[in-house]
Amino acid sequence: MEILRKNREIDHVRTPSEPKNAKRLIQKDLKKNWFVYLMALPVVAWFIIFCYGPMWGVMIAFKDFKPLLGFADSDWVGFKHFIDFFSGPYFWRVVKNTLLLNVWGIVFGFTAPIILALLLNEVRSSKFKRTVQTITYMPHFISLVVVCGIIHIFTANEGVVTQLLSFITGKDYSSLLGYSNLFRPIYTFSGIWQSIGWDSIIYLAAMSSIDPSLYEAADIDGVGRVKKMWYITLPQISPVIIILFIFAIGGLMASGYEKIILLYNPLIYDTADVIASYVYRRGLREASLSYSTAVGLISSIVNFGLLWMTNTIVKRRSESSLW
Amino acid sequence: MNRTMKPLFTLLFISILIISMVTACSGKAKNEPDNTVTQEEGVSKEKNEVTFENISGDIRGNKAPTQEQIDEVNSTLNDTYLGDVFEEVIPSDYSAYPVKGDVVLDVWMPANSNIPDMNNHLVQKQVEKLTGIKVNFITPPVGQEADAFTLMISSGELPDIIIDPGRYPGGFEAGVNDGAYLDLTDLMEEHAPNYTAWRNSDETRRKTTVTDDGRLLGFYGIAPYSEWIWFGTLIKQEALDKTGLPIPTTIDEWYEFLKKSKEVGYKAPLNYGSTYGQIFTGIINGAYGVWDWTFLDENGKVAWGPAQPKAKEYLATMQQWNKEGLLNRDWATADFNQRMASAISDDTAVMMDSPDTMWSYWKVQNDIDFVGALNPVLNKGDKSSTTYKNFKRTGTSAAITTQSKNVEAAMAWLDFNFSKKGWELINFGEYGTVHLVDEQGMPYYPENSYIYNDPDGQPVDVTLWKYRWHSWPNIRDEHHANPLISAKGSYSGDIRKNWTENMDTSMAMPPITFTKDEASREAELGNQLSTLRGEYFAKIIMGELPVDAYDKFLKEAQSMGLDEFISLHQAALDRYNQR
Repeated sequence: MEILRKNREIDHVRTPSEPKNAKRLIQKDLKKNWFVYLMALPVVAWFIIFCYGPMWGVMIAFKDFKPLLGFADSDWVGFKHFIDFFSGPYFWRVVKNTLLLNVWGIVFGFTAPIILALLLNEVRSSKFKRTVQTITYMPHFISLVVVCGIIHIFTANEGVVTQLLSFITGKDYSSLLGYSNLFRPIYTFSGIWQSIGWDSIIYLAAMSSIDPSLYEAADIDGVGRVKKMWYITLPQISPVIIILFIFAIGGLMASGYEKIILLYNPLIYDTADVIASYVYRRGLREASLSYSTAVGLISSIVNFGLLWMTNTIVKRRSESSLW
Repeated sequence: MNRTMKPLFTLLFISILIISMVTACSGKAKNEPDNTVTQEEGVSKEKNEVTFENISGDIRGNKAPTQEQIDEVNSTLNDTYLGDVFEEVIPSDYSAYPVKGDVVLDVWMPANSNIPDMNNHLVQKQVEKLTGIKVNFITPPVGQEADAFTLMISSGELPDIIIDPGRYPGGFEAGVNDGAYLDLTDLMEEHAPNYTAWRNSDETRRKTTVTDDGRLLGFYGIAPYSEWIWFGTLIKQEALDKTGLPIPTTIDEWYEFLKKSKEVGYKAPLNYGSTYGQIFTGIINGAYGVWDWTFLDENGKVAWGPAQPKAKEYLATMQQWNKEGLLNRDWATADFNQRMASAISDDTAVMMDSPDTMWSYWKVQNDIDFVGALNPVLNKGDKSSTTYKNFKRTGTSAAITTQSKNVEAAMAWLDFNFSKKGWELINFGEYGTVHLVDEQGMPYYPENSYIYNDPDGQPVDVTLWKYRWHSWPNIRDEHHANPLISAKGSYSGDIRKNWTENMDTSMAMPPITFTKDEASREAELGNQLSTLRGEYFAKIIMGELPVDAYDKFLKEAQSMGLDEFISLHQAALDRYNQR
């Protein structure tokens, strides 16, 4: 954050754009903050080497890439892989499912850790607070395969969740993973269970840096707890929330296939089959590096578009933004 | 091999022949001092005619061999005690061994998780002794084989031999076309005499190990017979006892049996499926001719199972069975562990699976006896049929890479697996501690074999990797050498044998291959069709869609390009038949 803000200051100062002047300013800044730059160096290097370096490899989406022939000798096929993907009969369905799963993830999965952090912040007993935190971030360390095994067991015919649901609704359910309309809730809420504790840490950290005098002033004015939360805590951590929200929107078209393929089955393809799982199944028949790269590229472009859009909107309406 | 030899070579040839006669027993030809390339060719054409003393009297039927006899078997190439137990004689050409010089081959192979260190594998130690070829195994970390393979190929640094070369994107043949693997067509006859003789010993073997255009790419595991069918219907013996019914044969009898089973207390008598696509087993749907995927119709043409005329009948029957609670309720969603949990529970009477798997889960772990049933038929007296057929291709395969420094040695090392001695050693491990040989010259595991009584206390499913190579480019003798089948009291082999002898496999598709252009289109269409099929069939059986939704399914399959998909397979089949 600090660095971002600094950069903006530099930008701001550089606007006179008199080269000599700017140069001097940069030198001055380097001299003054050399340690911050030094700290940023490894991160910048990492991005250059591992993120920007391999980027030209995206070009294999337009080739029939063969690892042995290498990049140069593989044949160009133009937009063949893209056309394959767009013209498939399931194209719209997998795109829709991917987006919807992620929308569910933002509506419920994004807000849950914020609520947890707000509630934890109100807890006086540090012992209780620590216990709750430990319990909630535990699942983050459980392997995904194990988590999916647990979900399978809980949602089986005689599973805990199934029985609970039958008890509440009074309807008789067999295994819950066989109902298309239940897949999104199962996926989303198991995801919340997995990550709520872990994701709340950053908000708690942000809350810990709020100036206590604000609360003291509110106390003197006789403000209640809920109002303090609403008027002090939330606005104070809003920059963090906004940044993370922009990131979340930037992941709307992204989807991991692991959890999906461990949970889905042909009965619920209509809600559970996403881009990644569809491509994965195609890869089972013929390992096609180029095809999956092409699909990945489409997702990335859409994601970037969304990211940029969100950032623009947020920038107009509030103080904080990514750039 | 019609090369005219210059007189000089003839002279050299004869002189070497004489020398090798003199040194016959050591089996080593004398090194010529000045080895130019052309002379080398002359040398390699010459065979070490090694004659062994017949020791079958000592070894066959011997239950307590002396150390001397054990050493004779384990450290010489003498194979006179091994019988010709199969229809075709296993070749025994040892002229290449021991390979001259100090050869070390790099072999890349995915390891079995029980045997992380292949370099100290007992079998390889013996193979090295007999062939004179040292091997350095390169094993990727378990679970990261795919990435390790891609990295290796991309790096361009290839070992001599790659086991399981079909990992190459686009398959084995693509690997040869791209120049990763060596085309061995012209080298086979000369440097792999055993493999050549064995694959030519029978038409099926020849056909399944050559490409459409007649090239020989590598060494494929080839069985001495078509391996037994490994998948079918298994019924708990107690369910037969409780219901008092015979093993059902027709769909109607099955229906009766399952209803009766439900009456006597099996809540969900038929375990019908799981997330990994078990509703497509070719068992019940096969009775209706609605095979899972592609198959050969009565005219030998490719057809697509889900589009066959009786599909609606099949779906209606299954929908009915599901409604009546004859199937496990979670058949669409159960994973493997849930399936096995219900298999051993008191709700299940029938499983559709491999007898070897169920032997372990039912009999060994829970003492539940079971019998195998033939696949059901529609009319009493029809012959059961199945598409589970092994075309004598088995185990795994191996390719020699274009970067191999010593192709001849690599071929000699792989070729050893297809000799008699190789068949014995790879399948049955070492003589004495692991196996003995019976009166017919057939190796077997005695009761005190390390396979069943490992000094380190490992269970059989580990020892079968530890003392032998379970899956290899060799003459894999699964029926006799798989300790799980040949274990005392095990009847899973009997069930498989019974299935194999009494079921028709004429509709099974042979292992066809697609061209580069076909492959990507086939993958695209195949993925779409299998998604469509899985979804409609599951929903209709579950009762979420009416049986008449099948018509819509067929229309959609047509519009996706079903005809094109079938013609791709037909073209590949035609090429296969032309091989």
